[in-house]
Amino acid sequence: MNARSFPLPRYLALFTVAVLMLYPLLWLVGASFKGNAEIFSEVGFWPSRFDFGAYAKGWKTSSEYTFATYFLNSFAIVVPRIVVTVISCVLVAYAFARFEFFGKKLLFGVMVATMMLPLIVLRLPQYLMFKQLGWLDTYLPIILPSAFATDTFFVFMLVQFLRGIPRDMEEAAMIDGCNALQLLWHIIVPLLKPAIISVVVFQFIWTMNDFMGPLIYLASVEKYPVSLALKMSIGATEEVEWANVIAISVVALVPSVLVFFAAQRHFIEGAASSGIKG
Amino acid sequence: MYENKRLGFLFVLPFVLGVLGFKLFPFVMSFALAFTQYDIIDPPEWVGLQNYRELFGHDPLFVKSLGVTLLFAALAVPLRVGFALFIAHVLNFKLRGINFFRAAFYLPSILGGSIAVAVLWRFVFAKYGLVNLVLAKLGFEPIAWLADEHYSLWTIVLLFTWQFGSAMVIFLAALQNVPVSLYEAAECDGASKLQQFWRITVPLITPVIFFNMVMQMVQAFQEFNGPYAITEGGPLNSTYVLALYIYDQSFRFFNLGYGAALSWVLFALVAGLSALSFWSSKYWVFYSGEKDQQR
Amino acid sequence: MAQLSLNQIEKVYPNGFKAVHGVDLEVRDGEFMVFVGPSGCAKSTLLRMIAGLESISGGEMRIGNRVVNGLAPKQRGIAMVFQNYALYPHMTVYDNLAFGLRLAGTKKAEVDQRVRQAAQLLEMEHLLERHPRQLSGGQAQRVAVGRAIVKKPEVFLFDEPLSNLDAKLRASMRVRLTDLHRTLREAGQPATVVYVTHDQVEAMTMGERICVLKEGVIQQVDTPTALYRQPANAFVASFIGSPEMNIHAAQLQAQGGGIAVLLGGVALPLPEAKAQRLGRRDGEIRFGLRPEHISAAPRNAGDSFAVPGTLRTLEHMGNEVFVHFDIGTVPMTARVPSDELHGLQDLPRGAAHAFHLQMDCCHLFDADSGVNLLL
Repeated sequence: MNARSFPLPRYLALFTVAVLMLYPLLWLVGASFKGNAEIFSEVGFWPSRFDFGAYAKGWKTSSEYTFATYFLNSFAIVVPRIVVTVISCVLVAYAFARFEFFGKKLLFGVMVATMMLPLIVLRLPQYLMFKQLGWLDTYLPIILPSAFATDTFFVFMLVQFLRGIPRDMEEAAMIDGCNALQLLWHIIVPLLKPAIISVVVFQFIWTMNDFMGPLIYLASVEKYPVSLALKMSIGATEEVEWANVIAISVVALVPSVLVFFAAQRHFIEGAASSGIKG
Repeated sequence: MYENKRLGFLFVLPFVLGVLGFKLFPFVMSFALAFTQYDIIDPPEWVGLQNYRELFGHDPLFVKSLGVTLLFAALAVPLRVGFALFIAHVLNFKLRGINFFRAAFYLPSILGGSIAVAVLWRFVFAKYGLVNLVLAKLGFEPIAWLADEHYSLWTIVLLFTWQFGSAMVIFLAALQNVPVSLYEAAECDGASKLQQFWRITVPLITPVIFFNMVMQMVQAFQEFNGPYAITEGGPLNSTYVLALYIYDQSFRFFNLGYGAALSWVLFALVAGLSALSFWSSKYWVFYSGEKDQQR
Repeated sequence: MAQLSLNQIEKVYPNGFKAVHGVDLEVRDGEFMVFVGPSGCAKSTLLRMIAGLESISGGEMRIGNRVVNGLAPKQRGIAMVFQNYALYPHMTVYDNLAFGLRLAGTKKAEVDQRVRQAAQLLEMEHLLERHPRQLSGGQAQRVAVGRAIVKKPEVFLFDEPLSNLDAKLRASMRVRLTDLHRTLREAGQPATVVYVTHDQVEAMTMGERICVLKEGVIQQVDTPTALYRQPANAFVASFIGSPEMNIHAAQLQAQGGGIAVLLGGVALPLPEAKAQRLGRRDGEIRFGLRPEHISAAPRNAGDSFAVPGTLRTLEHMGNEVFVHFDIGTVPMTARVPSDELHGLQDLPRGAAHAFHLQMDCCHLFDADSGVNLLL
């Protein structure tokens, strides 16, 4: 649609909404530098002076461990999970998008259905299963299911992406004598790069944010990831040191924000296209 | 090579195992558990339909929780989807800085599920928090968002709506797929911008509206982080969504059979609503799809 | 049913690019006017400016006798047929046709009557309940045309409507459209049509008058015959006619009592009448001759001049042959009826043969501006 005049109302509307949306975040960052008193009295987000004290105190926390431990824990969960997710989802998506096999239609239907399944129904039985296996208080219950392509959203996204790629190069490679794994590694994976980046980014952020999983499975505080540690710092006492909590919340968000901006272009388009062709 | 059925199955094997082991098996187990009384320490004891009878007949907390969950979904889903569509529509033209706006609206939906944001939210709606400060500046009375049972649900609803970015991005891509010439033809036919939106744009993106609605609905019924961290289900259970109730019964009170029964009620609710949506989609969703030639 | 006048129409884009330069044009009431030109010549831009989909940067545009510069498409009394048909996919054919009328609040009975009348004219009554995705290309195009007819506009605008169809279908739709134009005229509803195409065959067969455009400037507006026989400049001469007119750089030189054109090392004597028209006797020039005015054997028609040529290839078209040969180093194409080849087909590549140029049909264009010097 061609705008005949400068679309001022549109820009205004968008800008207003953007400010409303982002202000809480801006405010959060600003508040991390303020003293408790100022937090509760000022609407403006710019602090009167920059006090890094809250960061130091928040980092140390009131528990025996600093946030260094908690962040390391988070990464110890996130990194392996991303690796196994990418590997298993790419393999499975490749199968759905290219191959013919027994029960393909049925399995695809199951995949779409599980995307809409409320996870909560499975939490309890999964907990019991993992308890039987003796995996409680480890990271295995969180990481392992992803190794079996159970994050069906990613499989779906990769399948849609692959469907849009013509088979010409694969056919040429087949004539050259490639087997399936070689095809996958040399041809498919490079073509899938934008989608794989999307998977990595989403899984990173979702796992960093994952709360209920660690809540159910982890008992020892020393194993807590950032999400649990954060909740701990506001649940424990009556009097909450808000400044510290806010500071550490900001720090908790930093990795996700960084990853988001680094790969922004790629992964927004990936998320969008999976919705369209659905 | 792609016709090699065994090879194909081999590639998809991890998924088959995963679905069987981590989805199907727990699913069946959950169904069975609902008919038992189980507290982890002693072995499960079969009680037939007792859990369900108690649930439907003698559990006011369940009724309250169900009501809260339905209310939450009824408020939050239309708000989120509506906002997403509206902003996507406003965003849909050749605009300098579209990437900035897109990222700005999308960011909250990424961060929103984290505890950090829940903490922030609790803070923003506190008695002397940001929202009340702004209200005071505008001359309104402060509202006890977190302490007043009439307003507490709104904090969760607003958090959910704040995360409209993911749905918006999907709408935006759909809107950009509508050919410009259709709008031009409509303009030549005499349609105003508003008429173009309702008669051309919306009908053509009904599949995406449908998809978003269903996905957001499923998400809304599972909402946990917000109610848990911000309001802890209160005050007076006004934000005690079913997900919280299930968690409490299963993992705090170790009333596993009852928890399983509750989760199945939730599942049935979601499945029922999804089925209803699918059935109704026949009437209002239009798939333009591939051309079916008929000479 | 109204005339269309464009007065010094200009289009300048925000980045400063001037797409349309001072266009003056009168389209008569009920006339079928074709805009033709290579891509980038701004023909579609001009059409969209008439429609109201692009703003007019300068000049005045009138439909009927109203100035329409600032008016929205709906208020101009135009109907447009888009290149990709732009049918509303979620509505039936009937609803597609009725959409505009319903928006205007037309009574149901009248809507029905107009829709069915248009459907009848286009022989698509049986398609009314179908959806666009169930239509073939040709049927979809007819619906797009029907949508325009239903509105009873003052001016019909067509934006390359046939370019998405295959060749055979294009040919039959061309005939259908010109028939339709004639039918409407005979029924007392003459339709003023502006039709944009890049295909000069479409232009020549359909247009009552053709407007040739190049880079936003009108080159010539005339009937097909006039464009063909009296092109205003070298561009029009080479654009119209297939195969292209042979146009090459040459020199004028005095010869005997008259003028000769030096081409590929051969001096071609210019007929008296043309020499007089020309006015000068030397300098650079561009020489043009249509392929059908070159033959393989001497002609009885006047001013036929024989030149020595080197044969390159023959393209057999069935009833005629395109003969490609060289005069010196200058490549030429002749169009010879199959039964007048006189043994040319047996000659090897590179063989020498005399070709006969009909000089009284030649054209001379200015070496720099390309203007036809003999008009």
